[in-house]
Amino acid sequence: MKELTKIEEILLLAIWRLKEEAYGVKIRQYVSQVIGKDFTYGNLYSALSQLAKKKHVIKTLGEPTPDRRGRRKITYAVSASGIKALKAAREMNQKMWEDIPDFACD
Amino acid sequence: MAEQKSQPPRIAAWILKHTARYEEKFALFGDFDEEFQEIVRSRGAFFARYWYWRQCVRSLPVFIKDTVYWRVIMLKNYLKIAFRSLKKHKGYSFINISGLAIGMAVCMLIFLWILDEWSYDKFHEKADRICRVTTDITMGSTLHTGRSLTAAGPALVQDFAEVITAARVDDPRRVSIRYEDKIYQEADVGFAENAIFDIFSFPFVSGDPKTALEAPHSVVITESMAKKYFSDEDPLGKFLRINNEADFSVTGVVKDIPTNSHFRFNMLRSFQTLIAEGSVRDDMWFDIRFFTYLLLDEFTDPIQLEQKLPGFINNHLGETLKAAGGSATLILQPLKKIHLYSDFERDISANGDIMLVYLFSGIALFVLLIAGINFINLSTARSAARAQEVGMRKTLGAIRSRLIGQFLGESTIHSLLAMGLAIVLIKLFLPLFNSVIGRELALNIVQTPWLLAAFLGMAVIVGVFAGSYPAFILSSFPPVHVLKGLLKAGSSHSRLRKILVVFQFSISIALIAATIIVTNQIIFMKNKELGFNKEHIVVVPGMSENLRKSYRSIRSEMLNLSGVIDVGASDLVPSRGHLIGIFLPEGFADDQVLSMDYMNVDAHYIPTMGMEIMAGRNFSEDFATDPDESVLINETAAKKIGWENPVGKRFVFRPPPSSGREVFYLSVIGVVKDFHLQSLRERIEPLIIFYDYDSLLTLSIRIAPENIPHTMGLIEKKWKGLDPNRPFQFLFLDDSLDRLYRQEERLKTVTFCFSFLAVLIGCLGLFGMASFTAEQRTKEIGIRKVLGASVPGIVRLLAKEFLLLVIIANLIALPVAYFAMNRWLQSFAYRMDIHLWIFVLSAGLSLSIALITVSYQAIRAALANPVDSLRYE
Repeated sequence: MKELTKIEEILLLAIWRLKEEAYGVKIRQYVSQVIGKDFTYGNLYSALSQLAKKKHVIKTLGEPTPDRRGRRKITYAVSASGIKALKAAREMNQKMWEDIPDFACD
Repeated sequence: MAEQKSQPPRIAAWILKHTARYEEKFALFGDFDEEFQEIVRSRGAFFARYWYWRQCVRSLPVFIKDTVYWRVIMLKNYLKIAFRSLKKHKGYSFINISGLAIGMAVCMLIFLWILDEWSYDKFHEKADRICRVTTDITMGSTLHTGRSLTAAGPALVQDFAEVITAARVDDPRRVSIRYEDKIYQEADVGFAENAIFDIFSFPFVSGDPKTALEAPHSVVITESMAKKYFSDEDPLGKFLRINNEADFSVTGVVKDIPTNSHFRFNMLRSFQTLIAEGSVRDDMWFDIRFFTYLLLDEFTDPIQLEQKLPGFINNHLGETLKAAGGSATLILQPLKKIHLYSDFERDISANGDIMLVYLFSGIALFVLLIAGINFINLSTARSAARAQEVGMRKTLGAIRSRLIGQFLGESTIHSLLAMGLAIVLIKLFLPLFNSVIGRELALNIVQTPWLLAAFLGMAVIVGVFAGSYPAFILSSFPPVHVLKGLLKAGSSHSRLRKILVVFQFSISIALIAATIIVTNQIIFMKNKELGFNKEHIVVVPGMSENLRKSYRSIRSEMLNLSGVIDVGASDLVPSRGHLIGIFLPEGFADDQVLSMDYMNVDAHYIPTMGMEIMAGRNFSEDFATDPDESVLINETAAKKIGWENPVGKRFVFRPPPSSGREVFYLSVIGVVKDFHLQSLRERIEPLIIFYDYDSLLTLSIRIAPENIPHTMGLIEKKWKGLDPNRPFQFLFLDDSLDRLYRQEERLKTVTFCFSFLAVLIGCLGLFGMASFTAEQRTKEIGIRKVLGASVPGIVRLLAKEFLLLVIIANLIALPVAYFAMNRWLQSFAYRMDIHLWIFVLSAGLSLSIALITVSYQAIRAALANPVDSLRYE
């Protein structure tokens, strides 16, 4: 299995965290806050469609609201394979960081 | 609530809508709107709109990237299908691509040639300000020439402030050059005034362009000449002996003259030399020998200047012209028009012809059109085979515009492949083409990338153009019909295909007829009774003055050589035309002078050439008075003057009073049968022949037809003994006469090649169509055979359809060819008649070629075992 890109990893974690609130607007706002700069919809949907294609996320159709002018939202949830990929990513990260003392990065 | 009404910016929304291509697009829009409204509530509508725009613009790159990615994936599919169908139908693909490639190669070759023709003289920096002074002068007859009055150049500079400078140029000719032990014959050695380097841009390698040709006996040479004579030495200050008469000091070396210059030279001697020798004076008005080029200032329009020229002529020549009852007009010819728009005889170099440029462009387009038609024909014919695919794609949701795009893409791939092949073909055939047209064209894509761009553009245009019809047809199939098998193979478009085949063959047949007519006219001209015997005559031009003096003894020495039958001499080289003069027959009023050709010969010239005396006698050495008192005329002259018994009639000669000689008469002692020493394009002009030992420059030697190399060896050895300072140059008269028809020969080669190619491409198409039809009718043929049809019957059935088309094409093409070629033949004074057999031959040729093409497929289909073709029914 191909490993996750950093953005995919962040997105999956965000979806995981946001639970039933995990749809476009909320994910974008949360990620923007975490990375400290504006994360555009372009980047968001580009990555989301990749994740959907790899079946790391499960899409659920939400209800339309007046604010959305009748368009339904898609709520994302991390799938089993998504969790597996996240775990693999974390393991890889840890392995890479092992034995590197904190001061080395300062 | 006022905020609730806020709408996202419409343009930004529209952009979003058309760039994002995700499955989740609706959710994306919803998110945009939701967040937009949120911001409207928290920070106001204005900021929200700003946010929307910012978000939209910053997202665009990713959207576009992802969209293009999907397009590429789809494109990959189209490409895959395109190459699959290319491979699957190797035969069709081959016919399509190679036909198109040939058409493109022809088109590109001609394009290269046209570019070259248009590029003439454009490299001169001041090209727009340069013009040539040409002259129409009428005195009895009219002389229309690219040359100008010798005195005109300097006078124009003096009289008109807008003429910055003028330069006179003498034709570059062939001379012999000697430097130390090196003796060569060199072409294109002329005379020019130094101002030539102010006017034209001929960059100097060494020497001073300001003064190079100021002094008499100086010479400027090209770089390759410098290399040839001086190798690594510095040529400046060295002396070259020209024609073994005078030494010229080298004062400058210029870069070799580009081939696309109408004025080309290997060496230029200073014009001052001619003035110093006394053969030219700046006040010579009635002397039309030299070409005059002017450089105008930046603000002058040549047309304005030209309007002042009648006044100029009147000032300088008014009186003289009035006395002689003549007129003269100077015409300014812009430099850039010289190559393509000149129609002067004996111009400074052989010129192009704008009509030829148009003609070739037309032919190029036609050949490409024929190839394009093939493409359309084969694609529509094959549409049935692709119908299933189209139906499938449509069922799976392809929209029509996408399908059109796909098929256009396929045809563009075909035409790009064809272009690749065409470039290879051009590389292969360019040397041949160059030798036919006598130029040095090069296809250098690396150095001229725009040429590659132009060719690619052409490939795409051809692909789109040829592909558009099939694309629209194919994409229009209703999927239900196709998948149910209700659509019959391309039957509804068979009429268009037939029209196209007829059109294609019309062009080919017209070209075949044109080729036959051109070929025949050339044969006619070469075999026409010329009035003398052109075989086995060796012409040795350029006798020096010393040789001229001892001509009689040279002649008898030559006659002693074995193989030499007779020797005569004349002034000009036979086949290179005559001099023109004005003569007054006795009994005519003084202003009734006649313009006639004239030539100078010795007493042996006429028998040597095998010319016939119709009445009277030839010049003879036995009559000592012949050179001073006698002339010969030709039949045309007798007719024009109106003498029934010309022998004994006289011409009147009035030398200018300054010479102190009295009026004298020359009487006609004989009439020569008309003979053609010129191209048969020219009518035979009245000719008067003088007996004059002083102007004999050219030997004509009749040799025995046996053992020619041996005889030539003896003549050369003798000549070398007589004149060791010059290389022995000779030509065979029949060759040099044949060379008069070089232009026609070239036209013949060109029409032959084009008609061959047109027929080839047409046949490729016909072959494809025939094999397609045969395939379509496999079952029908099977049933016919089962029911007892014979093989010839079936072949006839299949071939009939196509032959009918070719017959119709003949009916269209032959009248067109007749009228076009009849017009071409009008330009010849002596021409063949267009006989019926030519058209019968063209028709027969086209029919048999078509029959052979079609019958291969027809016979194959007819011989097939019906069991095989019917097995699956």
